Amino acid sequence: MSAPALSTVRVGDELAPLTRTVSQEQINAYAEASGDFNPIHVDADFAVAVGLPGTIAHGLLEMGILAEALSRWAGSADRLMSLEVRFSKPLVAGGTITCTGRVVAVDEAEGIATLDVEAVSDRGERVLTNGRATVRLSG
Amino acid sequence: MPDQSHVGRRYEARGQVVDAGRAGAMATAIAGPATAFEPHAVPPTFAAVYCLAPTLAQVFTDPEVGVNLAGLIHGEQAFEWPARARPGDVVDASAEITDVEEKRGMTFVTLRFEAARPQDGAVVCRGRSMMIIRGQA
Repeated sequence: MSAPALSTVRVGDELAPLTRTVSQEQINAYAEASGDFNPIHVDADFAVAVGLPGTIAHGLLEMGILAEALSRWAGSADRLMSLEVRFSKPLVAGGTITCTGRVVAVDEAEGIATLDVEAVSDRGERVLTNGRATVRLSG
Repeated sequence: MPDQSHVGRRYEARGQVVDAGRAGAMATAIAGPATAFEPHAVPPTFAAVYCLAPTLAQVFTDPEVGVNLAGLIHGEQAFEWPARARPGDVVDASAEITDVEEKRGMTFVTLRFEAARPQDGAVVCRGRSMMIIRGQA
């Protein structure tokens, strides 16, 4: 996928939504890669004991999927300059998230597009909110 | 439990290696069974490994701060990537507790992070985390 030229990006443009089902296997793989083995992510009995419906995805795994959606839109992860989110609701293992975003500002002088971004689950919960990203574009 | 007296406390983790194999494993974990996007790149959120994890490990085990890990929730996360971390980079990471607030029986701890490559002085990540801690230590 090639990056949109800065001159063609307009306020209101939307990211191609990225939908992904996050399996327990994927959460385990993320725990391995990140070193975060908090039992709420990998131990179902523990998760239920602390009041969760089951094991939940790492917030940073969800944020990683959102960063991937932005990177695909921008053509490269190297173009992602900043990303911030609030982890509003947990995503239960086996759940699906859909990441979306919309351009809210274009700074042609700096070559930076600003997007509002979020992610919702297949349970209709807004799992990532208050999201904001900046992406460097060229041309 | 963390309180206002802990604001300003700093933690350093020098010599963090941006491991290509682990970065690739994270890219694959993010993409799941699908082909990872840019499998040879360092995922932006790999900053969790070279910047957050080694400093937070110190925060969480600081006996004077006394974080109740069982009640810990990651509330918010912000990253900036002024320069790119590359596979094989060695970076120095640091963290500082910048705010502690009690609300509705929970403790909200804000930390700021930075990771820089001493080789050329480039800052590869700045971060801000807000952690929510429920319950007593």
